[in-house]
Amino acid sequence: MAVVAISDYKFPSKSRQELYGDDQLVHLWWKGNPYFVAASCFRFPKAMPFGDLVELCKGFFSADPDLDPTAFDSVQWVIDDKPVTPDLGASLEANGVGHKSLVQFSI
Amino acid sequence: MTVPTQKPARKLTMQQRYAALTHDLDWDPTYVAEEEIYPFTTFEGIKVHDWSKWEDPFRLTVEAYNKYQAEKDRRLYAVLDGFAQSQGQLSLTEGRYMNAMKIFLQGIPSGEYQAHRNFSHLARYFNGPGARFASLCQSMDELRHAQTEIHTLSHYNKYFGGMHDWNKMSDRVWYLSVPKSFFDDAGTAGPFEWLIAIGFSFEYLLTNLLFVPFMSGAAFNGDLPTMTFGFSAQSDESRHMTLGLEGIKFMLEQDEDNLPIVQAWLDKWFWRGYRLIALVAGMMDYMLPKRVMSWKEAFELYFEEQMLNGLFKDLEYYGIKPPRHVQWAIDEKEILSHQVYWVLYQFSHAAAFTTTIPNEEDQAWLESAYPETWPVFKSVVWDKAQRVVDSGGRYFNPGLPQLCQICQIPMGFTEPGNPLVQCQRHSIYEGERYDFCSDGCQWIFDREPEKYVQAWLPVHQIYQGNCGGPTLPDVAVWYGLEPGDAGEYIGSMDHQDWLKWHASSIKEG
Ligand SMILES: [Fe+2]
Ligand SMILES: [Fe+2]
Repeated sequence: MAVVAISDYKFPSKSRQELYGDDQLVHLWWKGNPYFVAASCFRFPKAMPFGDLVELCKGFFSADPDLDPTAFDSVQWVIDDKPVTPDLGASLEANGVGHKSLVQFSI
Repeated sequence: MTVPTQKPARKLTMQQRYAALTHDLDWDPTYVAEEEIYPFTTFEGIKVHDWSKWEDPFRLTVEAYNKYQAEKDRRLYAVLDGFAQSQGQLSLTEGRYMNAMKIFLQGIPSGEYQAHRNFSHLARYFNGPGARFASLCQSMDELRHAQTEIHTLSHYNKYFGGMHDWNKMSDRVWYLSVPKSFFDDAGTAGPFEWLIAIGFSFEYLLTNLLFVPFMSGAAFNGDLPTMTFGFSAQSDESRHMTLGLEGIKFMLEQDEDNLPIVQAWLDKWFWRGYRLIALVAGMMDYMLPKRVMSWKEAFELYFEEQMLNGLFKDLEYYGIKPPRHVQWAIDEKEILSHQVYWVLYQFSHAAAFTTTIPNEEDQAWLESAYPETWPVFKSVVWDKAQRVVDSGGRYFNPGLPQLCQICQIPMGFTEPGNPLVQCQRHSIYEGERYDFCSDGCQWIFDREPEKYVQAWLPVHQIYQGNCGGPTLPDVAVWYGLEPGDAGEYIGSMDHQDWLKWHASSIKEG
């Protein structure tokens, strides 16, 4: 349904991917752990290897004192609701992570 | 028997004077088309056949209005003077109470000002004189509310952090984009939608939930100025509620084609308003050292009982149904405040207020108010946060949160029936992905995606480099934060000052 307006009503998204150059926004979500009250939003290069994201997670989520970082070596990754086995050496883009994608795991 | 031929003019009744001073100043245009004078009252699709049917039960004149308001202002300013002279801030229950008032000052007066501007727009552009005059009064009220709120809280600015740059903050700081975007959304709608959004949904459906907790919270915690401001605004609120109710009834009575339009606005603005006052839920249950009632009790009394079982029974006559996502709100009443305060706690390093772990007394109260849900939250999050404190730290979230595209609140609300898993909703619009905290917010986006793709989301703006710089200290400077504004309450500047003032008053006493 279109906006009911006094004239043509069309504006670009204020957070479209092109505003981030070669980067994109990515959401990381530890599903089932409310210690992190919401998923976190990052700005990552599209070309960043997925393995770098995994390393980042080990540090970032250790704000939870109960985290065992080795758990990340065997988590089931889910990208935009699809369970995946990521290629750690390939880029986020090649692994199917798009602008504002939700990358989730549970421990 | 002699009958006087002429009645003296001063014998006009109040009602006649009202008619003379409002309706009689209206005229039918002869050399300009009505649509040219009132160009904004048709495009929304609301059909009006007879503007004279707009009832204005208050029948105030400008003269009477000014007299009442001046009297109320006199009383308020006398209280403010007395409070300042007697150093009333020392008699607050605790220094941390002021955090609730910081959020109030940062979030509310700018909203009042927006309400002032948009009601003055209605006061010019509604076709009917009754509707215009009621809008004019409310416009003046809202300006007065903004001014008196600022004056009322200005005294505290001399003694507490977080209150110095409320105006800049309300434009910039992440949690204040919640009320700002709410009013931007309403103010960029047409005049009838504004009236349903603010006049009806906010001022009628939800106002008691906003107003009563703040004002009775103030009374319970020794904040005489805020309480007096509340009383001063309360008589205005009853006029505003009437305008909202008259407005919705007028639309529904004018043409039955108006019903689906009004219902959709009601569905949208109930949810927008309900998400906005989630901040009040967190404040009521966690930020007041002395509580009046819990969010859950307030929601049951002021919303479920008075609105769902009262107002909506009356509106049924017109074919109006309760708001679309109301059941979701009812289901959330036991968990809402826990989730909101947990957001505020872990992001208060980037806020103009401080937070702390509920102390023993707070926890006992929470346990009695929420016997089912408090123990779960305590064991899952607060015990862990306490362990961090016990080992000399303080848990702050190390990142920036995913935000809801509509309400702009960090996506910490959970799936119905599962208080431990956040709710994730997404829509794809023109190839881009958008995130929502709930079915309610997603439904609002899907109705009008062109509007909400423009949302100024604080987290995304930070990542685009529009908020002072790439690091948190850069952003804090751009927000106007000063040392002592943010973070943990225990050991903060406010807390240390509070202890110092009371230590010296014990010595002197
Ligand atoms: Fe107001
Ligand atoms: Fe939302």
